[in-house]
Amino acid sequence: MAQGEEKTYNKNVLIAADETENARRAVSYVAQFLGGLPGFKVTLLHVVGEPEPDYFPTTAEREKWLSHYVQRVDGVLEEYRQILIQAGFDPNDVSIRTTLRYCPSMAECILEERDQTDYSTIVVGRRGISRLEEFLFGSISSKIVTHARNCSVWVVE
Amino acid sequence: MASQWLSPHQLPRRFRIHTDTTDFFRVEYDDVVLLDAKPYLIRHNVKELRFGLDDEVKFWVKRAVDLKDGSLKIIKLVFYEKFMSHVGGIEFECFRSPRKEARILKLVAGHRNFMQGFSVEDEKGNVVRVLDLIQGQPLSFYVQDMDLDHETYFYERFPGILDSFLECVRAIRFLHEHGERHGDVRRDHVLIEKGSGNYRWIDFDYNYRHRENIYGYDLFGLGNVLVFLVGKGDLLIRDLARDNHPALSSLTEEDFSIVFQNRVVNLKKIYPYIPEELNRVIMHYSKGTNWFYENTAQLIDDLEEYRNAP
Repeated sequence: MAQGEEKTYNKNVLIAADETENARRAVSYVAQFLGGLPGFKVTLLHVVGEPEPDYFPTTAEREKWLSHYVQRVDGVLEEYRQILIQAGFDPNDVSIRTTLRYCPSMAECILEERDQTDYSTIVVGRRGISRLEEFLFGSISSKIVTHARNCSVWVVE
Repeated sequence: MASQWLSPHQLPRRFRIHTDTTDFFRVEYDDVVLLDAKPYLIRHNVKELRFGLDDEVKFWVKRAVDLKDGSLKIIKLVFYEKFMSHVGGIEFECFRSPRKEARILKLVAGHRNFMQGFSVEDEKGNVVRVLDLIQGQPLSFYVQDMDLDHETYFYERFPGILDSFLECVRAIRFLHEHGERHGDVRRDHVLIEKGSGNYRWIDFDYNYRHRENIYGYDLFGLGNVLVFLVGKGDLLIRDLARDNHPALSSLTEEDFSIVFQNRVVNLKKIYPYIPEELNRVIMHYSKGTNWFYENTAQLIDDLEEYRNAP
């Protein structure tokens, strides 16, 4: 892009969502902030981190867990969708995307999903974890903020 | 067959033979476990030596004799366990995975910094691990039991210990590079092999549900071991208070471990001869740090820089 040339941002918003309260807050924020405004399209993205085979004694138990999990998350995502619609989004402008993949880093998986599509904005909720917890296990939102390229990141507290 | 390796008084009158090890409590002293047509004579259950607490008997881990060649083995039977662990008030889920340990054993075959062995399925498909017995003591005991003052230890023994520990950190990097984690990095999970002097990681069957940083918990464990090695043990606030140590008044909250609030990490304040370059590395595990190691390569770089400094 030449110097002085204005970058164009689209109105596509990707909300990285899961079953947590912080994800619900992120959805609620977008609903209140953008609901009823024309042109915005929202995708609720949930990356199902493929459960480690080591965690389950048998493949059958793993499959059972996965099937229950996906069913539960689908229900939660549909709830989020309704929150957005009730806030004024056109039902055609709110979609759900669930994808199953092996994710050593959830942040990287979310960013890779974004890279395959065309969203100018990612929205994530933040748990507000302690420094100790971040030290031990890392923070998805911090990593997204650090590594996101070619998009803006909204972190909802 | 057993009489080749055992003296007459050690020989049981009758052998009970197991081909299914599902119920590991039933596999007892003097029984024989048959794995892949190879007989192993079971001796006693293994105890875990840890931090001076009562030794915990691990009923699924047996000492055994390979009746084909007389070698001593550790046989780990399948025990699935899930539990919540707590570190510094943070709860996370841990579990044992025989398959993980079996996979890592294959990966590290021939590697001098890991225990050696192989896995074999019993007739019910249980993934049993057959490990070479390592004659030697845990790194924790070796360091803590040295009858030396800290300064002598630091100048005379620590450089060699650090070099061996660096090998251990590189070994963990090797696991991470292959998408595996140790899962339970502790100072008593490194055994110093008699004779060779090799430092070997043991016990890879632990695992934990990771969150964002898949290797964060291993890195945390490496830091704990390093601080322990630099300090020749844990330096606790209560010990300094008991000894009325002159540095006590200069310690601030930031000088303590980010996880264990009673452990001093800023060891240079206690032992001023510790070089700044080394103290800086351990300070990444203190409350005062503004940056954490994200991977083993970063830790290795810093430790090598310190070791290679003129």
